[in-house]
Amino acid sequence: MRWGMVINLAKCMRCHACVAACRIEHFLPLDITWVKLIAHEVDEDGAVEVSTYPVRCNQCADAPCVHACPTEASHQREDGIVVIDSDKCIGCRYCVIACPYQNRTFYSKDKDPGYFPGYERTRFEKMGQKLYPHQRGTTEKCNFCVERIDDGMSRGLTPGVDRDASPACVNTCQARALTFGDLDDPDSEVNRLIRRYGGFQLRAEYGTEPSVWYIDYRLGGNDNKAPREAQTGSHIQHLSSVDRDAFRRIYGREPADAEAKP
Amino acid sequence: MKAQTRRQWITTHEWMVKPMRQKEWISGKGILVWLAEVFSALGMGTYLVGLLAGISEITTWAWWATVLGWVLIVLFKLPFHLAYLGRPLRFWRAIPPFTKAWRTSWLARGMFFSIVFTGAGFLQIVFWYFLRWGDLSASASDALTVLSWIVGIVAGVFILLTGVYCGFAMSYCKSLPFWNTGLLPIVFVIMGVADGLALTMGVNLITGADEAAISDLEFWSRILLVVNALLIAGYLARAYQRHSAAELAAQDLIKGSTAWVFWVLLVILGIATPLVISVATAFMEGDTEPLLIVAIVCHTIGAFALKYSVLKVGIYRSVLPGVG
Repeated sequence: MRWGMVINLAKCMRCHACVAACRIEHFLPLDITWVKLIAHEVDEDGAVEVSTYPVRCNQCADAPCVHACPTEASHQREDGIVVIDSDKCIGCRYCVIACPYQNRTFYSKDKDPGYFPGYERTRFEKMGQKLYPHQRGTTEKCNFCVERIDDGMSRGLTPGVDRDASPACVNTCQARALTFGDLDDPDSEVNRLIRRYGGFQLRAEYGTEPSVWYIDYRLGGNDNKAPREAQTGSHIQHLSSVDRDAFRRIYGREPADAEAKP
Repeated sequence: MKAQTRRQWITTHEWMVKPMRQKEWISGKGILVWLAEVFSALGMGTYLVGLLAGISEITTWAWWATVLGWVLIVLFKLPFHLAYLGRPLRFWRAIPPFTKAWRTSWLARGMFFSIVFTGAGFLQIVFWYFLRWGDLSASASDALTVLSWIVGIVAGVFILLTGVYCGFAMSYCKSLPFWNTGLLPIVFVIMGVADGLALTMGVNLITGADEAAISDLEFWSRILLVVNALLIAGYLARAYQRHSAAELAAQDLIKGSTAWVFWVLLVILGIATPLVISVATAFMEGDTEPLLIVAIVCHTIGAFALKYSVLKVGIYRSVLPGVG
């Protein structure tokens, strides 16, 4: 079993819901984000647009951060998830340097100014300090909501299928751009998506074998463009009041299969 | 770009889209890593030179050179590294047998190398002290000589490893193409030994100048400076060929924001000036001591500049396909 995620770039409408869901799930300090949307400029027939890539820890099968960690605080579970034992981390930041994707953050004092600097901590922050304490002076990153996975599986649930066993970002994505499942299972939804739409990993040439895959089913293959029209199309598609007729009225054409089917 | 993204209610992250500098090991508290790395090189060079010089005869300056090398590692390098840690009191977790990470982690290996050197180097210094100044019987002297050879070899090997592991730790990072080359540890070691030769000359001057020894040290210093200049030139040329991010780093060194450190502090002060002084003093008669002091100071500035410039231009490749 190896947990993995497929991110559909054509569906992602950069609403940042995954970023917010992760912050809420893990009570993240203000300046720490485990899930990020990175913006980049794309040239659409001469017009420069901003497009985005949602990124998080790739849970690499051959993770450089795990090899670099001098204390074994960063280690890989049998299900492929790379986790950090904060009690073992000495804060050397070698893993931060070694991660080719820069998905690790060192939790220093300046990363936690409080949600409203100069004011009393919010109740949410205070609750987080009790429920999900973060240790200053250690490194943090996405862990695929390992607590939810473990808890869900102990109750007989299936991650990626049952919400209670799936990562918070996957549950919250209103465009259904995130799919979670077992990469070792050839019949899983994640493998089906990767096969069908030509999934690709970020910087596969490093040989790190990331467990996070990307698909862009309008363009297919290894292309980093997620057309705004497709993003908007999938947005509309997920608004319950808007149907194919609405799409026709707005765009003046029939929605493509990719835009019409989740 | 920024104007567009700032309009959003949550700032969209822009890093890793274009090649981006590493900051953890050079900015803010990261300065401590830079200092620790400099003292690694200086300590390694000085100790090794002192150790090799004392093999045939334990001279006063050779003994003091090993002491200085040991002090630079134990009282400067290690404390700076520890001070950098987010959780310094847990440092023991990085040392075998509390971790098995030494199989893959250069930092864990480095900790191990440093600690073995600390012990073996200390014993070697103590043994040499008694061999040099102790009032020992012939049999005791023979036994101590054998022991000092054993700990000397162990300390020599481990100080070399202590000096070289920093380079390997950096060259391990695949996403930093400027560092990701086997040449880096070699450059660090050779520059470290050259700087060690300079510091040993300083020790020699302080403990009573031995003209013949200084002449030998200058000879080796000349050779290593030339070798290092060629290595650095080759390193930069290779960076241009290797990858666009490495090329960007090399350009930054040569004509970017780090260029003044590279040209003024490293090339002119750290390499050219000591080399010119070293060649000039070989043909000069009379008191060359002031020039030697200038060369030693310049050499040491070069040691700081080399590590600073390499750490400063650690530039990541973009994570996005088709970009950089």
